[in-house]
Amino acid sequence: MKTELLWPFTVATAALLFAAWTAASALNLVNPLFLPGPGLLFSSFLDLLLNGYKGYSLPAHIGISLMRVLLGFGSGAIVGTLIGLGMGAAPLFDALAAPFVEFLRPLPQLAYLVLLIVWFGIGETSKIVLLFLTALPVAAIAARDGVRNVPLQRIQAARALGASPAQIFRHVIFPSALPEIFIGARLAVGIVYATLIAAEIIAGSNGIGWLVFDAGRFLRSDYVFVGVLLIGLMGLGLDFALRTIERKVVHWAGK
Amino acid sequence: MSKGKSFDRRTLLAAGIGLGAGAALARGARAATPPEARIGYFVETKPTMIAKSLGWFADAMKTKTVWHEMGTGAEINTGIAAGGLDFGLAIGSSPVAAGIAEGLGYQLIGMVDNIGPAEEMTVRAAANITKPADFIGKKVGTPFGSTSHFRLMGFLAVNHLSQSQVTVLDMSPEQIVAAWKRGDIDAAYVWSPAKAEILADGGKVYETYKELDADGYVIADLIVVRTAFGRRYPDAVAGFLSAYGKALDLYVTDPDKAAGVVAQAAGVSPAVAKSNLAEYDFVSLKDQLTPEWLGPPGHAGKFAAVLHGTAEFLVQQKSIRSAPPLATFAAAIDTSYLAKVVG
Repeated sequence: MKTELLWPFTVATAALLFAAWTAASALNLVNPLFLPGPGLLFSSFLDLLLNGYKGYSLPAHIGISLMRVLLGFGSGAIVGTLIGLGMGAAPLFDALAAPFVEFLRPLPQLAYLVLLIVWFGIGETSKIVLLFLTALPVAAIAARDGVRNVPLQRIQAARALGASPAQIFRHVIFPSALPEIFIGARLAVGIVYATLIAAEIIAGSNGIGWLVFDAGRFLRSDYVFVGVLLIGLMGLGLDFALRTIERKVVHWAGK
Repeated sequence: MSKGKSFDRRTLLAAGIGLGAGAALARGARAATPPEARIGYFVETKPTMIAKSLGWFADAMKTKTVWHEMGTGAEINTGIAAGGLDFGLAIGSSPVAAGIAEGLGYQLIGMVDNIGPAEEMTVRAAANITKPADFIGKKVGTPFGSTSHFRLMGFLAVNHLSQSQVTVLDMSPEQIVAAWKRGDIDAAYVWSPAKAEILADGGKVYETYKELDADGYVIADLIVVRTAFGRRYPDAVAGFLSAYGKALDLYVTDPDKAAGVVAQAAGVSPAVAKSNLAEYDFVSLKDQLTPEWLGPPGHAGKFAAVLHGTAEFLVQQKSIRSAPPLATFAAAIDTSYLAKVVG
């Protein structure tokens, strides 16, 4: 594969960036407040790992965030996909649901944060509901478009062979839409991830998103960088997991 | 070799240009009027709003003012660190202690108020909280990083309560009001209008400020200027302080008129403005120069120790990496501008 030959370039840019970063901090070119050097970052990471941050250990912060992301994303993606399948299959349902889904999708979460607290309190519910509401429209629209993009000939062929509408949906439409559903899920996990900080500033005191937010308040850029790197790595990990499932389930996609 | 011969026309010309440039620089230093002054501020019910809305700051500094509304003192710190702000108006003492400890290039040039009872613990009357031990198992909301948060942490430390016994939640003032109305929290450490709203909704004051002030957990709202700006435009900085002094005078001599102006600027009713104003202890410019507060120029007052103590506490909280010695805080206080205004 051609793309596999390109990995040296990825490594080279990363190495170049790392070298520039190391040099800049070793030569004191930048204020460590703006860009902490690799040494400081590593010692801050060790400090977080050994001593935790404000009452919780680092693994606890990460675990709590992962739980929120998985619950919020999982529920949002499942419900969203079901709604999207319905919207794609039944124009009447689409007409009913589309205004809500389309309205919700571009809404900035910070705008309705206080409402979520009034409705769901300051516990885990409001945080997970926020992530659920973020994932749902993305998954719904992907599923709807997936259903709509199923080639008509395929449906007609199945019908000509005597398949019932339920059989057509189960054996033709759903499998054909699956690749797009997975793309939607991967998009949704990214957006849910981006929303994590917004969710965790609801009466927070734990979670990796809150850690970054709280450390930023006092310009503790070393913790901010460590947190951001961890969030990035966790995001990559989640995306990798989703892609692995995707390859297993829709192995035919793109072929 | 005669060096004199090398004084050819080109050298003379260069010397002439040098002299001219030097003269221009000297003129610039004397005129010392900044092209603009960028001020980070909060919309709040304080006399600062009088000077802002009536344009006194711009008049006294003889330049135009650019106002940036901020949400927290930490944002002012970031703004000044990034060189995007020249002044921080009524920034809390805990972000200032953090800023000085982190080596942000700014100086403390004046005070607005000693916060005193204006930020205080409010407890739900029905929760029966009468002594520190009653807080065990309760949820207390406060905006993290604020002066209120600092006082609350001080309250827990003084009373030997740990954060596993009392759940301290990071909430913005409007989140506190929302959570209070739902009954999710039984106590909050915050300022008005959030404080006034929860007091009106089944809350009562649990007084902590007197004991905490005595224990060194003094909190105040301050005025800071970017060091480079202050050095370059000392007259403008003095003008800034004199404009605030004029507003404070108006509040002292005619509180009703002052409350009216403040109300309009902050978007509240004159009655609310008046009661909010009454909660703060606005320290007069003259008193700020006494050893009790900032001290006369060159002799930092007691407030340097307050900032030092605040920074050491923030280190324990892992909010900042390290606290410099007392001398660093004393050096960060520059009351020369204030002395010029008070005369």
